[in-house]
Amino acid sequence: MHYTLSLGSDEGRGLGIQAPAGGLPIRRSLTTCPAKSLGRPLFAIPWHGHTVEGTKELGRSNKWVNPDNHVDQFTPLLEVRDISKSFSGVSVLEAVTFDVRPGEVHALVGENGAGKSTLMNIVSGVIRQDAGEMYWQGRPVRLAGPRDARALGINVVHQELALVPHLSVAENIFLGRHPVARGIVQFREMRQRAAQALGELGGAIDVRRPVAELSLAERQLVEIARAVAFQGRLIIMDEPTAPLAGHEAEALFRSIRTLRARGVSVIYISHRLEEIFGIADRVTVLRDGRRVLSQPVAEVTQNQLVRAMIGEELKQRLEMHAPAAGGARTDEALRIQGVINLTVRSGEIVGLAGLAGAGRTELLEWLFGAGRSNTNQLFLGGRAVKLRTPKDAVRNGLALVPDDRKMKGLVLGASVLQNIALAGGRSLFFIRASQEQRSAEHWIGALRIKVAGLGQPAVYLSGGNQQKVVLAKWLFAGARVFLLDEPTRGIDVGAKAEIYDLIRALAGEGTAVIVASSEIEELLGLADRIVVMHRGRIAGELARAEATEEKIMHLATGGAL
Amino acid sequence: MSEAPKTSPEAIRPVPAVKPRHTVSAAGLLRRFGPLLGLLILCGALGAGSERFLTADNLLNVFRQSAVNAIVSLGQLVVIITAGIDLSVGSVLGLCCVVVALLMRAGVPPLVSVALALALGAALGAINGILLTKLHLPHPFIPTLGMMNVARGLALVISGGFPISELPSSFRFWGAGSIGWIPGPVVLVVVFCGVFHVFLSRTTVGRDIYAIGGNSQAARLSGVPVDARLILVYAISGFTAAAGAIVLAGRMNSGFPLAGVGGELDSIAAVVIGGASFLGGVGTVSGTLVGALIMGVLRNGLNLLNVSAAWQTVVIGIVIVAAVWVDIVRQHAAERVAVA
Repeated sequence: MHYTLSLGSDEGRGLGIQAPAGGLPIRRSLTTCPAKSLGRPLFAIPWHGHTVEGTKELGRSNKWVNPDNHVDQFTPLLEVRDISKSFSGVSVLEAVTFDVRPGEVHALVGENGAGKSTLMNIVSGVIRQDAGEMYWQGRPVRLAGPRDARALGINVVHQELALVPHLSVAENIFLGRHPVARGIVQFREMRQRAAQALGELGGAIDVRRPVAELSLAERQLVEIARAVAFQGRLIIMDEPTAPLAGHEAEALFRSIRTLRARGVSVIYISHRLEEIFGIADRVTVLRDGRRVLSQPVAEVTQNQLVRAMIGEELKQRLEMHAPAAGGARTDEALRIQGVINLTVRSGEIVGLAGLAGAGRTELLEWLFGAGRSNTNQLFLGGRAVKLRTPKDAVRNGLALVPDDRKMKGLVLGASVLQNIALAGGRSLFFIRASQEQRSAEHWIGALRIKVAGLGQPAVYLSGGNQQKVVLAKWLFAGARVFLLDEPTRGIDVGAKAEIYDLIRALAGEGTAVIVASSEIEELLGLADRIVVMHRGRIAGELARAEATEEKIMHLATGGAL
Repeated sequence: MSEAPKTSPEAIRPVPAVKPRHTVSAAGLLRRFGPLLGLLILCGALGAGSERFLTADNLLNVFRQSAVNAIVSLGQLVVIITAGIDLSVGSVLGLCCVVVALLMRAGVPPLVSVALALALGAALGAINGILLTKLHLPHPFIPTLGMMNVARGLALVISGGFPISELPSSFRFWGAGSIGWIPGPVVLVVVFCGVFHVFLSRTTVGRDIYAIGGNSQAARLSGVPVDARLILVYAISGFTAAAGAIVLAGRMNSGFPLAGVGGELDSIAAVVIGGASFLGGVGTVSGTLVGALIMGVLRNGLNLLNVSAAWQTVVIGIVIVAAVWVDIVRQHAAERVAVA
């Protein structure tokens, strides 16, 4: 098989390698190479069953490829072979083989529980595999702990960002590795190097600012800068775009492309399949601890990925764009009057769209009596009410499923039963334990929550099951108006479908539902009506039939219809 | 409300619930009975060291001596479950001790004096709670540290620094009396433990308290009136401090302004030895009672073994740290089981 190198053809300083039909695309970064190799085959190496041979063509750049170094470019940076892992007899990974090439963005997808986190924990040295080998640049390695992984250049950018809020950006980047001269921290040097590291990633952040003042997107950039500032070769990103708005995600993608052009590899974990096609080179799908697919992104479709992740039946349910089961009724459930005017009828699902910071969360929390009071007036069932505290809201039959279930939705250390029973039954003095238990068991069954028992702490559940516990809490309390803030954030596809079903079923029963979501597709598939917010106001309203992604984005960015 | 579910939408057809398995694991048993096991081992060791230790008289004596700390610790427990801390209990105990004695000397009937002292303790605690929630002081350490100084100072001011002795005999029952062979303070401890156990594990308010400690924001967004509960919690802690004062004054037959110095630390020690977590959301009445008994048994046993007071303090310090360390080790073991 013959590969052609073309210099300067790829973005940044990258070097493109043109694959022949059927060949695997290869990316690598530029290194120097002697001029004498012009026009002659540069390399011929056995690789994954092919003989790979390459020549180069003169491009815009006058640098060359070093054939000696070159072999390295085809040796995966990281390779794991037949990795297996089980916890107390339950197999989590079964003979998974996986590799990342230098300068490659490799997407790793799969439902929660598919084994992604376990695999990444093994790769980053947090846990050890039961069987299987790991190779770093072709050499077998054994990681005794996260420290070993970092020493190799493997860094993890966690979903929950691990920064010290009160320290400056520069100090966070150099945390534990401050440049020191004679025992004194060299702040000036530290700031310069931090600014440089951020600048290379395309971020302009004042490195003297405390991290607490930064937006989530900026914090993420700081973490990435920390990962690459010290010979980072491989960065593992776990759902990096989950908390980001659209334009912030774009900036992140630009940073990732910059990294890739510099030869840094990225393992990119995400539930948002669309973005994988924009950013990744290859994609690997895990299902139930096995690798079910590993292909260049260009060769798969989104449908194939979803099928690989969940199988046929679930996929059809996801695509179901049927109107809400019961359809909207005429009686008004909730009305807001004032700066914001919005009416929601019983049995209606209203979608709340808008960019991050448009005021969706604020509106929902205000409705729930948890935000700052404002000048809007609230009517429930036609009756003017004033909800001063969440307690008032609960008493009036409102339910809030917050955007951050770990921080706001659940008492993580408490049992599933305690979480489900938290909002209901407050009018009683004594707990009616057996009744509570029966009711909780009913909802666990009805929502298909996978728990080991009522006493299992919520912290050990998967994201989807945690969110179902939050929903069960409000069903248990008998809420009649549901306010859902990003109800499927960070949840796998299967659980998403189930939560959509549940929302539709709730509406079918006559419950009024407001769903705020950053995923426009989700709103298009779910809502009877979509209300778009922009800077704390309602920018416009679209019926299901007329709503399109473009129209919503237009309104969300301040345009008029 | 917690009745058969009102909405049972068709699409979420009830399927037979996965019957929760109530497994009894070694780790779970150890977690529940670990402190008790420690207490029994300690008693065995002290019994082997001194033949006087395991006599009925001496054990009743241990209970009597532990009563004040046990009662005060119950209030401290409730506070620590909410991830708080109450540093004022020792001083509130001292102030209430002086106040109840002064009231009775002024001719107020003992029962009324006791009620007033209990109300004073609860009120001082409530002030702690109000300072914490309404002034938004950053941590309960601050208001209760303030109250610790204020209450101790007031106790010294109104007593003039002198103990108030010769209290009515009817008042002394709860400190020095007995029902049959059971000392009054022990009866009181049993009643308090029963009430607190039911309160924490069987009432909705008790559940709110655990939820606040586990995640106050989630609790608030589930409709728990967090501020009101916190004020109640600190009032309870003040109340138990006052109850401790009644027992102590009765036992010593005097109200003295330096009563309960260091009591806050003894109560915190009992609570954490009993397995509660400073991070909140965890803690039991039985554990706390065992914690208080471990402290009492240690003091008593070391006395019998003629260990000097100075060395006793050293031993107790080591026991506190060791008990919490054992608890942490145990939790890690339990987590490894639960994750898998």
